[in-house]
Amino acid sequence: MALSLTCPICGLRNGYEFRFGGADKGPRPLEEGLTPAQWCAYAHLNTCVAGVQLEWWNHKDGCGTWFVARRDTRSNREVPKEDVQ
Amino acid sequence: MKRNLLMNRLEHLPTLRIQPRQTLTIRYNGKNLRGYAGDTVASLLYGCGERIFSRSLKYRRPRGLYSLDGECSNAMMSVDGWPNTNAETTPARHGMVVTPQNVVGSLEWDPMGWMDHLAFVMPAGFYYKLFHKPARLWPLAIKGIRQAAGLGKLQPEATFDCRCDAIYPNTDVCVVGGGPAGMSAALAAAENGLRVVLLEARPHLGGFCDYRVRAEKGGMPLYQWVGALADEVRATENIRVLTHAPVVGVYPDQRITAFQRGSAADVFDLRYIEIAATSVVVATGCIERPLLFASNDRPGIMQIGCAHRLLHTYGIRPAANAVFSVAHDLGLEAAIDMHDQGVTVHCVADAREDGQDPQMLSALAQRGIPHWRGWVAQVAHGRRQLRGVTLSNLTGTFKKRIGCELLVASAGLTPLTGLVTLAGGALAFDHHTGFFLPQRLPPAVQVCGRIRGLHDPSSLSADGTLAGLRAAADCGLNLNREIARAEAAGAAAPGAVRGSKLAMAPGKGGKAFLCFDEDGTVKHVQQAMAQGFDVPELIKRFTSIGTGPGQGGMPGHNLPLVVAHSQASPDSDPQPTTIRPPLVATPIAAYAGGKHDMAKRTPMHAEQLTAGGRMERVGEWYRARRFGADPGAQDEIIGVRTNVGLLDASTLGKFRIFGPDAVKALQRVYVGDMTRTVPFRTKYAAMCNEDGCVIDDGVVIQTGENDYYITTSTGRAGQTVEWFRYHTRYDSWDYHMVNLTDAFGVINIAGPNARQVLAAVTDADISNEAFAFSTCRDLLLRGDVPVRAMRLGFVGELSYELHVPASYMAAVWQMVETAGQSLGIVHFGLEAQSTLRMEKGHVILGSESEQRTTLHDIGLGFLWCRTKPEAKTVGGAALRHTADQPGRLKLVGFKMEDPRSRAPRDGSPIVDARIRGYVCTARFSHALQEPVGMALVDDDLVRPNTRLGIYEDGCNGTLRHAMVVPMPFYDPKGLRMRM
Repeated sequence: MALSLTCPICGLRNGYEFRFGGADKGPRPLEEGLTPAQWCAYAHLNTCVAGVQLEWWNHKDGCGTWFVARRDTRSNREVPKEDVQ
Repeated sequence: MKRNLLMNRLEHLPTLRIQPRQTLTIRYNGKNLRGYAGDTVASLLYGCGERIFSRSLKYRRPRGLYSLDGECSNAMMSVDGWPNTNAETTPARHGMVVTPQNVVGSLEWDPMGWMDHLAFVMPAGFYYKLFHKPARLWPLAIKGIRQAAGLGKLQPEATFDCRCDAIYPNTDVCVVGGGPAGMSAALAAAENGLRVVLLEARPHLGGFCDYRVRAEKGGMPLYQWVGALADEVRATENIRVLTHAPVVGVYPDQRITAFQRGSAADVFDLRYIEIAATSVVVATGCIERPLLFASNDRPGIMQIGCAHRLLHTYGIRPAANAVFSVAHDLGLEAAIDMHDQGVTVHCVADAREDGQDPQMLSALAQRGIPHWRGWVAQVAHGRRQLRGVTLSNLTGTFKKRIGCELLVASAGLTPLTGLVTLAGGALAFDHHTGFFLPQRLPPAVQVCGRIRGLHDPSSLSADGTLAGLRAAADCGLNLNREIARAEAAGAAAPGAVRGSKLAMAPGKGGKAFLCFDEDGTVKHVQQAMAQGFDVPELIKRFTSIGTGPGQGGMPGHNLPLVVAHSQASPDSDPQPTTIRPPLVATPIAAYAGGKHDMAKRTPMHAEQLTAGGRMERVGEWYRARRFGADPGAQDEIIGVRTNVGLLDASTLGKFRIFGPDAVKALQRVYVGDMTRTVPFRTKYAAMCNEDGCVIDDGVVIQTGENDYYITTSTGRAGQTVEWFRYHTRYDSWDYHMVNLTDAFGVINIAGPNARQVLAAVTDADISNEAFAFSTCRDLLLRGDVPVRAMRLGFVGELSYELHVPASYMAAVWQMVETAGQSLGIVHFGLEAQSTLRMEKGHVILGSESEQRTTLHDIGLGFLWCRTKPEAKTVGGAALRHTADQPGRLKLVGFKMEDPRSRAPRDGSPIVDARIRGYVCTARFSHALQEPVGMALVDDDLVRPNTRLGIYEDGCNGTLRHAMVVPMPFYDPKGLRMRM
């Protein structure tokens, strides 16, 4: 419960206001020639980083923006941009 | 006789927190007991002469009032059916029903009382060891133990009428503790323009000064001084005071949770509070450390603050005569006050040899109260209630037995450091104060007041101000000068006072309780240590001391002291045990929050009610299930099939999507080819998730250049915008979406006579040629109401779906109703709609599909355009991979073998030797005069005329049989909707 996130539009807000959209895995792969295994890897497999992870979050109870946040999965806290190596 | 005497409260004390003119009555154990507004349940019971409040967990020993802040389970009772309610912290309300718990007979005579004499078979950790050998004994033993163990009983049939609420305030500074230090901190931060939330666990501000008349600050008695502070706090606009709100936990980013009990004047009984603060000031103060001696749990033994507050806050003389065994000046002050209010104080035993406040000593001497230095209580006497006490000096060489009704016993103070620990601070034992003091604080957490060992009112106020300024600095203010000044003021004020040591009179036998909740004694600790447990953390687990509802508050300090005292190495410092949330026992209801029904009503809610609509909650909406008594809605169905009917479909999701890249977004999200839309022609389209499973269907209409109007199913309306944006998040496309779900209402006019009805309200040419099936037109009704009309065929008849601005909705509804009156237009609801569309084989997602059902499985594979891979359609890859995948459940239509039998129940499994699928929906079809249904079955059962065995609940193995038939059941060529 302790998560707070910084929405690019609304600023620092309570984590309850956001919906998690998964790790930032990059744009969708091309459909042409995509094998089931490749598709599955994109849609369902996650690296589950223990550390700083780039993630998509949606400010569902606010402006509705999808944005990328940096979260340390070990402390469940947002990490400021400059702290990311 | 004694009871009547005690009924009289001291009405004229200036510190009273009850209203002596406002009486109230509660029902306790079959008796009506009278108290006053402002009483807690515990103070009311005590005031009425009740002395035994409960029986203990393990030994069934009688227990009485001990503290007044709910620090132990002694005063846990069942209040209005809520078990384990702490009477000490529950305000008394007129008409409350209170019953004691954990008792078999009466509190005075509990037949389980013999458990006390069996203590020798229940040493520390007995349940880990006993009854395990031989193994077959364990199941029997566990039954008996479970029956006897546990606190309180929940009645499974009980319902709780509790007004619950939740608030999530944001603030700059959150101050925990409304005593002098906390209030000073709040004022200091507020004076610098910051927003402050002040949390106080008791129902009123003032902390430990609230009931003290003797000590002074600046010539004012303490109660007046803190009263003035409290007035100032309440008058400060940017301080929000939340009283009766104990803190439950502290989490990263200065997030604080608490729960608040409401009074009758509040709009809630229980309120969950979650505060997001920039800085936290912990000013939680101290509680008292229980004095350890034999039978220190007898009713009639209480702590200093308890006795003092009973007297001054509630106006109750706790007893006619008393003995004190204390180790702090607060005890001397209480003894003097008690004497002055007519209680005979036989003597004050003081565990300290020196260090007392000389003013207090002379006040005791003036009143002729003996003050014995270096003496403590050794044994309490009396079987059910206290009758006397044996005092002894610390070496045990002298003893004296004194008869008394009340023993005020306290070993000193203990700071409430739980919050500091939870916030991530470290504690270290301090030999001067005898406290675990905050050593290293996490950022943006300040501590002040008695928690730091301070005691003098001027130090508390200076320390509070300093902490408030530092908290303000945490919020980004530059206050270096002010902080330096406050630091100097704090340094000039008296520092931390010397605390009392662990004082135990030597003696053998008897039970000296460390933990009342779990019936844990000093002996248990010694037993655990004899078995090799050497750290408090492990001993806590082995003896279960400090694991009760009091959350280790009371034994939390005594346990490490006793362990350190009993340890072989003389130089080891006591170690605290770990603190975890919740810091106070919290009703689960507080977390559940309010039961606010957030249902939505369509613009035609009232009109449908008038028409006899039976409204039902469907998702977030109220919708009409049917208009009449018949659960099958036969008249409505026949009306639509043969005449014309009227349906409120306003709950449909409705959106406008526009912009240069709108069509790209549609291509991404819909599986069909959205580049091939024709303006004002409805295009039926579906959305899938990544797995190719259908999540939504609806129509897409191009209404202009790069401008589209789309509808979604009711349940998906809330997520659709988010879904579009999520799946285009990497693309930076230029398009916009507007959710029009609540802005537009929808009326569906369906039936062979629908055109006549619509023609009566519009001048536009709506002939089949001018307004053909699956087209859309913007019309004016009665010349000036703008509606968007679509010809769709969901129920399989000629039908018009009118999308109307919500504000016009009621008027249009009446217009259509009036126009259809001469034809005998019927209202129809969800039930009729479900049967009608099923006869047509139209699916409702969620009814005829489940999470793993793909577009192919429900026979809608033709909606998917496989030639647009460049659009990277959501679900496109999976649809390609699953197009011919074997082993999937497929949707089929079926009819019963016996056409005269009733329709099978929805959800019934379809079986042969094993389960092969299930019935999704089945209804009696009036058009076909027999039951029809749809089922999801294994893919080898999809051929027409396959026999399906349906297993219904309670059929005792007698299957009912059905045949797979092609769909749709009704009007297979779809001529009727194109009429």
